Amino acid sequence: MNATYTLVEIKRVLRDPVGLFFTAVLPAFLYLIFGSTIDARDQTIGNGNVAMYVMISMAAYGAVTATTGTGGQAATERMQGWGRQLGLTPMRDTQYVAVKAVIALLVAAIPILLIYALGAWTGATGTSGAWLYSGLLCLAGSVVFALYGIFIGSAFRSESAIGVASGSVVIFAFLGNVFVPLSGVLLTVGRFTPLYGVASLARYPLTEGHLADGSLESLWVPVANVVGWTIIFGMLATWFVKRGRDRQ
Amino acid sequence: MDIDLAPAIDLRDLVKTFRGTREEPVRAVDGIDLTVRPGEIVAFLGPNGAGKTTTLDMVLGLTEPTSGTARVFGRPPREAIRAGRVSAVLQTGGLLRDITVRETVRLIASTYAAHTPVEEVIDRAGLGSLADRRVSKCSGGEQQRLRFALALLPDPDLLVLDEPTAGMDVTARHDFWATMHDDADSGRTVVFATHYLEEADAFADRIVLVAKGRVIADGTTAEIRGRAAGRQVSARVDDGALAPAISRLRTTASVIDVTERGDRVVVTTSDSDAVALLLLTDLGGRDLEVSTVSLDQAFMALTADTDGTGRSGIPDDNGKHHGAEELTR
Repeated sequence: MNATYTLVEIKRVLRDPVGLFFTAVLPAFLYLIFGSTIDARDQTIGNGNVAMYVMISMAAYGAVTATTGTGGQAATERMQGWGRQLGLTPMRDTQYVAVKAVIALLVAAIPILLIYALGAWTGATGTSGAWLYSGLLCLAGSVVFALYGIFIGSAFRSESAIGVASGSVVIFAFLGNVFVPLSGVLLTVGRFTPLYGVASLARYPLTEGHLADGSLESLWVPVANVVGWTIIFGMLATWFVKRGRDRQ
Repeated sequence: MDIDLAPAIDLRDLVKTFRGTREEPVRAVDGIDLTVRPGEIVAFLGPNGAGKTTTLDMVLGLTEPTSGTARVFGRPPREAIRAGRVSAVLQTGGLLRDITVRETVRLIASTYAAHTPVEEVIDRAGLGSLADRRVSKCSGGEQQRLRFALALLPDPDLLVLDEPTAGMDVTARHDFWATMHDDADSGRTVVFATHYLEEADAFADRIVLVAKGRVIADGTTAEIRGRAAGRQVSARVDDGALAPAISRLRTTASVIDVTERGDRVVVTTSDSDAVALLLLTDLGGRDLEVSTVSLDQAFMALTADTDGTGRSGIPDDNGKHHGAEELTR
């Protein structure tokens, strides 16, 4: 593990206020709007309340935006010549991936910690197990979108591609039952979209499968979604990264 | 000890083909054999698209050859990189814009087990006053000096520079080579690609002339200068006599290049007296002018026949090959 490299990467994150706004401030704001002010916020859901349900959803959204950006940035900076510069050093690809993975998880942890702190302060309640495991699942699930970021970044190779990738997360969030509770056809369709599994799984320690419309969903649905999209994004990322190398 | 035994660079029948957009594969490097001994300063000179960058990429292990071998100090390039024996200044691109000059140097330094101190490298590249500036705020020349600083970190025995002054203005180019000169005393092997003849002439002891993926000439700068030098003879020739005059001139032994410019025929030659005589007598030329060919003009004439861009203005026929034949003996 290269500590110097990791520290410089952390500085890069902190120097990017726009990136921090979209990954941390905006989801936190959305939580305050949707989670802590609605009438139903104190209603019980599974092992906690509605405010906590919204808190976990927004934290997952922020974490996923963060990893998408980190993945996209890593892919584009390598394609734009930094990969060649590193190719002149003893650093191995696996070391670079390790640094970026640590950074992705650190950046994803920022919105989770911020929104969980706001949640604790504004009345989100739940069992300690629900708090801990939902937070960890947000973090773990966000890895899927690091692959998505790498895929988009290596496919389109420009900074604007990262913007598009992060922006598209908003659409996935709507479709994925994150911003507003879906029902009927939209929910059926939404179950197949990439963010549905990550968000449902993160909320599972709280909801234990109970949905907003009162129905019960078994655990295999979000698990299958996450596994499926991990494979799809993983394959697309691998294919585009390989194509980019062949062209160099 | 292997520094005395193994060449700094050893290329054997090196070939690299790329998949073309639709059609047949493109042979960017088409069978290059080259040995660079330790301590040499070699210019890789050729027009754009000659295969210089692709060849150097294979020397640096950034690209795998399609066939043939590349060895650096007797080992595969990637191993030589890991051992810190070789480093390079690449063409534009490849820096992180949102960190400072010093952070960039520290970042790359951290990838080496042992390296020249960061501040020393910054000083030697003349970056002292810029160390805390963001890379995005540095000019092209300053960024190139930063790449040079990065290349100095492992204190390499072989330094590869790929068109290090591309896109720089005259002052920045001068500054860059001044920095290089200051560093050159250390006995390092330096190989640099350029399409500026004057750069090759000013800095290298040996010039390897490349065009269309092949080595078309290899010698000391004095030798290449001698071979490339020549005169230009031009004369006005009547319309009807122009075409036969040009074909006659192309079959004349001393002629390197023939160009039509308006109603004048322009001949590059190693024997200006003979061509002038021929033009004034048999070919009916008038208003004769004789001038010395600049090194750049000669270089263009020499590479034009393998270049394929038709820069010399000669149509594709046998007449074109004089230059290269003379040069490669």
